[in-house]
Amino acid sequence: MRIQCPCCGERSLDEFTYYGDASVTRPNAFAPTAMSDYHAYVYQRDNRDGDHRELWYHAAGCHACLVVTRNVRSHIISDVRIAREVARERDAAALPGSTS
Amino acid sequence: MANTQWVAASAFVEWRDIPGSSVSVTRRDDLTMANLGVFEGQSDKVLEVIRSAYGIDLPRTPKIVTARGTSFLWYGPNQWLAVAAREQNRDLELELEPLFSGVASIVDQTDARAVVEISGHRARDVLAKGVPIDLHPSAFKTGDVAITHASHIGIVICQMDDNPTYQISMFRSFADSFAEWLFHSCEEFSN
Repeated sequence: MRIQCPCCGERSLDEFTYYGDASVTRPNAFAPTAMSDYHAYVYQRDNRDGDHRELWYHAAGCHACLVVTRNVRSHIISDVRIAREVARERDAAALPGSTS
Repeated sequence: MANTQWVAASAFVEWRDIPGSSVSVTRRDDLTMANLGVFEGQSDKVLEVIRSAYGIDLPRTPKIVTARGTSFLWYGPNQWLAVAAREQNRDLELELEPLFSGVASIVDQTDARAVVEISGHRARDVLAKGVPIDLHPSAFKTGDVAITHASHIGIVICQMDDNPTYQISMFRSFADSFAEWLFHSCEEFSN
């Protein structure tokens, strides 16, 4: 498998480390529902056919964390983005008064 | 009192020269280096400081640019490595630090990284045995930089000229491991 790093270009898998599911967000540990939130976050993972969003760390390259959209049946990677930018957009969208 | 002149020891201890003319390897123990790390939201300011001090734009892609005897290598998003020859006791950390107060961190890398140059018409073949990226001239040209690995050792590789000459740096403690691989790789091209 080869990943098209937005910073470095196409690189082989041995430069990357898998960092887990990119579709989940770490819950607030101080919320009253923290116990059940964390249970869902840690254990209740879907194993869907088709596209998965995964975190990959470019350990032997630019050290950027990437959100990779990979089809688990065909291994076709349809999208790679810098995780920092994905997180910023997510946080901006979650702000009160946001239009999105 | 004795006048003691301190001379830094090379990181490459088990060093030997490669006989023959198809590939040559050189230790670059004469460099001063500093890492430039941009503070949150300050990248425009950093680019402007470099533009006014050196008359160049810092590369936003894996490239190297040189001006006024100082090279700037792309070193990851919002990071650069400044490299210069250590003539007249130059110290890049001391040179750059006053320019970037509040907008970027400058950290000395002079003794942190070991640097070697590999050149000659078989240099590409020597490196191909351990470097996973495509070094063919159509894919990697003079002025291009890549952060990758060679024989499982993290390196920053940069093509300096069309000879071709490659400058490779790694963490200092990996220098001899890298050199051992390099000498093995050079063996078939030496005579």
